[in-house]
Amino acid sequence: QLTASPFLRIGQLSNVDLNEDIHELETELPRQHPNEIPHNEKLLSLKYESLDYDNSENQLFLEEERRINHTAFRTVEIKRWVICAMIGILTGLVACFIDIVVENLAGLKYRVVKGNIDKFTEKGGLSFSLLLWATLNASVVMVGSVIVAFIEPVAAGSGIPQIKCYLNGVKIPHVVRLKTLAIKVCGVILSVVGGLAVGKEGPMIHSGAVIAAGISQGRSTSLKRDFKIFEYFRRDTEKRDFVSAGAAAGVSAAFGAPVGGVLFSLEEGASFWNQFLTWRIFFASMISTFTLNSVLSVYHGNAWDLSSPGLINFGRFDTEKMGYTIQEIPIFIFMGVVGGILGALFNALNYWLTMFRIRYIHRPCLQVVEAMLVAAVTATVGFVMIYCSRDCQPIQGSTVAYPLQLFCADGEYNSMATAFFNTPEKSVVNLFHDPPGSYNPMTLGMFTLVYFFLACWTYGLTVSAGVFIPSLLIGAAWGRLFGISLSYLTKGSIWADPGKYALMGAAAQLGGIVRMTLSLTVIMMEATGNVTYGFPIMLVLMTAKIVGDYFVEGLYDMHIQLQSVPFLHWEAPVTSHSLTAREVMSAPVTCLRRIERVGTVVDILSDTSSNHNGFPVVESNPDTSQVAGLRGLILRSQLIVLLKHKVFVERANLSLVQRRLKLKDFRDAYPRFPPIQSIHVSQDERECMIDLSEFMNPSPYTVPQEASLPRVFKLFRALGLRHLVVVDNRNEVVGMVTRKDLARYRLGKEGLEELSLAQT
Amino acid sequence: MAPLRCLMRLLLLVLVFALGPAAGLRRRLLALQSLVEAEELAEELWGAGLPGDLPELEPECRRLLAAFAEGSAALTDCLGRRARPVRLCQACNLQYRHLLAQYGNIARAVGNSSESHNCAKSILTSDRLQIVVTLSEFFNETWEAANCANCLKNSSEGLSNSTVVFLDLFNKSLTCFEHNLQGQTIYVSPNNYTEVCKNCNETYRMLNDLYNNLQRMNSQGGESGHSAHLCIDVEDAMNITRKLWSRTFNCSLPCSDTVPVIAVSSFILFLPIVFYLSSFLHSKQKKRILILPKRIQSNASLVNIQEKYS
Repeated sequence: QLTASPFLRIGQLSNVDLNEDIHELETELPRQHPNEIPHNEKLLSLKYESLDYDNSENQLFLEEERRINHTAFRTVEIKRWVICAMIGILTGLVACFIDIVVENLAGLKYRVVKGNIDKFTEKGGLSFSLLLWATLNASVVMVGSVIVAFIEPVAAGSGIPQIKCYLNGVKIPHVVRLKTLAIKVCGVILSVVGGLAVGKEGPMIHSGAVIAAGISQGRSTSLKRDFKIFEYFRRDTEKRDFVSAGAAAGVSAAFGAPVGGVLFSLEEGASFWNQFLTWRIFFASMISTFTLNSVLSVYHGNAWDLSSPGLINFGRFDTEKMGYTIQEIPIFIFMGVVGGILGALFNALNYWLTMFRIRYIHRPCLQVVEAMLVAAVTATVGFVMIYCSRDCQPIQGSTVAYPLQLFCADGEYNSMATAFFNTPEKSVVNLFHDPPGSYNPMTLGMFTLVYFFLACWTYGLTVSAGVFIPSLLIGAAWGRLFGISLSYLTKGSIWADPGKYALMGAAAQLGGIVRMTLSLTVIMMEATGNVTYGFPIMLVLMTAKIVGDYFVEGLYDMHIQLQSVPFLHWEAPVTSHSLTAREVMSAPVTCLRRIERVGTVVDILSDTSSNHNGFPVVESNPDTSQVAGLRGLILRSQLIVLLKHKVFVERANLSLVQRRLKLKDFRDAYPRFPPIQSIHVSQDERECMIDLSEFMNPSPYTVPQEASLPRVFKLFRALGLRHLVVVDNRNEVVGMVTRKDLARYRLGKEGLEELSLAQT
Repeated sequence: MAPLRCLMRLLLLVLVFALGPAAGLRRRLLALQSLVEAEELAEELWGAGLPGDLPELEPECRRLLAAFAEGSAALTDCLGRRARPVRLCQACNLQYRHLLAQYGNIARAVGNSSESHNCAKSILTSDRLQIVVTLSEFFNETWEAANCANCLKNSSEGLSNSTVVFLDLFNKSLTCFEHNLQGQTIYVSPNNYTEVCKNCNETYRMLNDLYNNLQRMNSQGGESGHSAHLCIDVEDAMNITRKLWSRTFNCSLPCSDTVPVIAVSSFILFLPIVFYLSSFLHSKQKKRILILPKRIQSNASLVNIQEKYS
């Protein structure tokens, strides 16, 4: 009953008698679907592979462990701390670099445009200023978009979804490369300077993660340099731990929130958590914010005054004036509801836009043009708003960086210009801290409306930029508006300070968009430096999440779904207990025998239709008709290293002096194993035999066929597996469960849905 | 003597408790007790070697205090008089210097008697209110807030050169306004100031530019110093002039070129629509190729999924 293929295939055999006819029917059914479909959210891309968090405990590993003594393991532990410190320092330095460059370039741009506007206000011809502003923005953004679209598309966006996927165990191609980091840093500088409605905080998380991945490996394949250090950490398990530390350091540098960073890593990423790792991550975060702090303090001229801990600093909230009472709690909760609704609206709009972009704007040139158009329109909208605004405020005693007079009287500035004619970070802080009466309600209303659509339109462009700051800005604007109207309604009560409501609005809006809970609360608390706001911020974020989740899911989850990433959530879908491993698994499985012909191995590896990564190893029985029990699991990467070093049985007999393969040989090839095509195997060698027993993982995790989906899911998720072998009661391989088999079940609107696999 | 006193107090206490209900008697006994306590205090003071009445301020210290009081009165008077239009830094500098010196005298002065008991201690820190300190702090803060140091010379005597120039120019422009407004009062005909605008434009521009220059210089040099504010006199003078110029006289009428701005902006706003439409119509939609999974589909699962879908 074997199939005609030359490989040993197991799995169909035992089932054919059970449901032969249904099997036939099933193979016919999907054919009715068109083979090519437009992109939609219910797909899983084949592009994404899984990371191996599970350690392969083969004989080489045991040998190495025996060889390394106790002190050596202590050195490894010390090295981990050193790496964490370096991650913190470098992340902090990158954050400083971004901050300083953005400040200077944006300052230059605004000075030029301001000079131009001032000049033309007197003489007439403001349309030239508009053109100048739009052209400047568009050209800067063009450069930023070109490098992203043509050199490294994975650097687009905030990078948080990608890092989330990476920490979840999905290998996103190129996501932690040095080249990505360089593009990301330049890209974010250019897009912020280009005046887009973006922030530079989200990309910091990605940058931190790349730095962590790079340092922990002690080499860079982009630069082709190997420093021969930290070789012990060259595997997915260790790398992933460091990446979570890097992400935490990134958050910490962005917001000056070390605890928030640790919690971010905990909430968004690491499914594998222990207290030592937490402590190390916290260490990295603290070092990162400290580095940023000290370098920026030197840059700002007051050396060692460590009081500007993040890229964005919300400034001090004076507790006396900004205190809150119990009566305000319902108001805050109401703001949470508003934030949830607005966030859901934002996400829904962005969903349609992203879908359109994936389907129609997939060519790099079009993406660049789109980014340029957005930049030009952002400038134009800002200009028109400023032009039409008649809201003038006295310049005395205000802290406006680039006061635009335009049609205001001498000594006054246009209040709309403080919101538009500034980098978004500064605008947020202005909205929090400007004294009551600095903005007129009309200005704020218009600003919120316009900026909401601009930010929504901007997120998802092919530029590297974050969504944190625009969300905060939208929220702060409507929150302030809310506060002003509140104090109007209550005839100017002392407690209705608009700054406080701006903060709550910002929290609500951000919570409504990204749907983070614990880490966002702590980040906001740390960024404001005010612990007493913890309670209202928590309530606001909770409400925003509950209300928002009622409509659509969070922005990051949505983008992960739209990218067709096989992302595993915390739990299996709740109504999936009736599904068993038998239905979930892939079958038939391509198996290898313990002593296998080299030709067969090469053929299996080069077979493009079955691009598998793990192969169960079964007992090599002389008569192949007999299905044999499971003996172990071997990975594609291991096979490739074996073939490359030509570890064949015959050759071992020939040359006794041949060096034994060590674990180091496998690590050196990590993480970019050569493709099978690059390995040359001669016709003679094809006839050799290869003995896998030394290299395979002799005890892979297995489940019986009857295990339910949630059970399989739990095992898979908790252990960070990549392959889970399904066996029958005779320990014979029946099928294989991989990440995509589990990720395709999702709880949709009408119950359990199944996603289909697609080539993207 | 001490054991006797203790005995007496004990006796009193016993009496109080024993005769608790009799309120009148109790009150009398309490009075008796307080009398005893007063006696004790006097005794203790006597023992420390001090006179029974309060220690008096030495004449020298009293003189210093009086001087400070007069100085602060003078400064307060000056500040109040010069509040509007603001001339604090020009007018009250002298008084402020004086007060500083007097405060310094008190702080430094050492009385005659013992080292532990000097004027500084008895005037500045011997009570909860510490009114002298509070007063001097208030004046210092006001001076800081007004940023007067900015328009005074470094040695703090007299106005700095740039301030003098500015004030000259300011006076000149005010005179110019007055000259050109002769015959008409400000609030009668609000739209008829073309004369002023034309004639005083040059002076006003000069004043404005000078102020902007001062401000720029200040913010550049002021990075090491405290704030980017000029001193209040200069700021206020400029404020008044600007208000007169643009609000009252309505002189700064910028040209508004709404039509070209609208044209350009609508052109730019129109571009994305064209872009999206054209890419929708002309760009080839990206298709995904479905891959059939290798899977055993049993009866149960088929039913399961179909149930869920229906």
